[in-house]
Amino acid sequence: MIATAASSRRWRRIFLIVGAIVLAYALLAPLTSLDAAQSAGVPLLADRLWFRLATIVAMFIVMATAWNIIGGITGYAAFGNVAFFGIGAYTTGMLIAKAKWPFLLALPFAPIMSAAFAALVGLPLLRLRGHYFAVASLGVGVAVGELVQNIDYQGQPVFGGASGLFLPIYSINNRGLYFFYLMTAAAAVSIAVTWWVLRSRFGYGLIAIRENEEAASVLGVNTTAYKVAAFALAAALTGLAGGIFSQWNVFINQDNTFPIEYNVQMILMALLGGTGTVFGPAAGAVLLQLLIQFLGGTLPISFDLPFVSEAARPIVAQIILGLLLVGVVIFVPRGVIDFFGGRSRLSLAYLRRSLRETSL
Amino acid sequence: MGDSVQLVILGLLAGGVYVAVGIGFGLVWGVLNIVNLAHGALVIVGGYITWQLFTSLHLDPFLTLPIDAVALFVLGYVLQRGIINRIIRAPLLFTFLLTFGLNLVIVNVLLLIFGSDFRSVTPAYSGQGFEFGSVVIPYVALISLFVAILAAAALAFVLNRTRIGLAINAIAADRDAAQLVGIDLRHAYAVTFGLGAACAGVAGGLIAMIQAITPTAGEPYTLQAFVVVILGGLGRVSATVVGGLAFGLVEAFGQSIPGSGSVFANAIAFGLMVLVLVIRPQGLLGRLR
Repeated sequence: MIATAASSRRWRRIFLIVGAIVLAYALLAPLTSLDAAQSAGVPLLADRLWFRLATIVAMFIVMATAWNIIGGITGYAAFGNVAFFGIGAYTTGMLIAKAKWPFLLALPFAPIMSAAFAALVGLPLLRLRGHYFAVASLGVGVAVGELVQNIDYQGQPVFGGASGLFLPIYSINNRGLYFFYLMTAAAAVSIAVTWWVLRSRFGYGLIAIRENEEAASVLGVNTTAYKVAAFALAAALTGLAGGIFSQWNVFINQDNTFPIEYNVQMILMALLGGTGTVFGPAAGAVLLQLLIQFLGGTLPISFDLPFVSEAARPIVAQIILGLLLVGVVIFVPRGVIDFFGGRSRLSLAYLRRSLRETSL
Repeated sequence: MGDSVQLVILGLLAGGVYVAVGIGFGLVWGVLNIVNLAHGALVIVGGYITWQLFTSLHLDPFLTLPIDAVALFVLGYVLQRGIINRIIRAPLLFTFLLTFGLNLVIVNVLLLIFGSDFRSVTPAYSGQGFEFGSVVIPYVALISLFVAILAAAALAFVLNRTRIGLAINAIAADRDAAQLVGIDLRHAYAVTFGLGAACAGVAGGLIAMIQAITPTAGEPYTLQAFVVVILGGLGRVSATVVGGLAFGLVEAFGQSIPGSGSVFANAIAFGLMVLVLVIRPQGLLGRLR
């Protein structure tokens, strides 16, 4: 047992060191693209592709971490959080494109609108439990996406309709660097918020709701207010990511702001990393998003799938992703943080135990 | 007046497909407590089997429906026995993610095999119909409604009159007690999922005759199956039949609202579902579980 504890401590230390190096690299590499660094002869570590990838990873860190507040800490299986991303994106997008507001003035309204919407639909929805809440939130997510695309006023689409909404390009030097740091700041904020929630009276209330809602209520937790607040908080963070995305991507439509698969991806990221933890969802987001990009062939380090033609490649990538999803759910129900964090070790016995615990 | 009669008839005819899609989904949800996000994918598998048999063997599409049912029963049995049974005791989120993963795999395997072209099943009598007052009733839609009701009746018969059906009912009532009286849970779970998949296969065969299908065409049906089951109420086949027909009517009337266009039908359906969930969570006819 002592040997196990020592080796798991060692693993934990290695994991932390590797994580710190990767984080430092990710945060510092963009600086090499500045003109000053380039004229000083520093090698370029971050090109356009790098910025695109890193910003997307940061965006998913925000979404997975935000989902964790309602899904992981409060235990309500929200399946429609992408609605908040889309609402955030369209709030900022509309303010910039139609009302001609400057980006930084329009951005704060993304989390505000998303949180307001979450509070509004949360009041009735959060009375539902289990599958019913999951299904209803999924329904809200789908319905909002359809409404945004299809609302017309006097024959004109209000939100750009099916052809989407074009934003003026934000003219600033080093756009890639700017939006990467902005999205990373949003990721840092969502992790900090989670850290605060887990240490606050509010967070203890949410955990109590997850473990036993009736008992929490008897103990004096205002369960309705707490659940709605958690839902709105998750929505605000997700909406913030959406707001940044709209100006970063310049073009928004139903497909890139309300994709149903984001719902699943953010949940899978949180599960992969470990729900209810501070850093788990972020770690899961990095792992899964890099894997998705790797399979999709958009990473610089590429590979050839045997027996697969170039045309069939994205399809095979989706199949691998699906099989992975099935594998993670069956074999690693507590998330990978569980063994990277030193609580257990990845071994055959671990996988077998996980399987036995949930099998019929 | 004539318009609303026409809408009611068209709505009921469209409801046939929703009944077929809903009964299997409702069975799996009610008994196994699994919201099967791969249901739409299973539906489309049935559609492709019908299309393949129709194009290569020139079988009448209605005659392919039993083949769909058997093939999908086997597929469903294997999926449940081999994979889904392994996470039955995990939190509900896991069944969501697992079935979504299965959905991803099935849809993309179909894409590999059949490509993303639209496929349609057009027997000689497709597009024909008879006039009923001012309404033209297509034969295919009418027979589809009939087949869907027949499938629901067959499912209800299996559930209420056969030994395995009673075992499934016992599981729905109390899983642990069912195990105590000697029911083989793994087998009974797999049969339940297989029956659900068989219904999905029949629904897919019907859908292939009514619309052109692609591998991704099943996704809306998963979402619509939710709405149908919730509208009717969980736990009884007859309630799902009512839910399916009601959904067809709501859709028909939703599409007829001037200025809304057909695109709003989905939003209306989901709005209705959320409303039903909040006001009457047991559905129109359901009993609360």
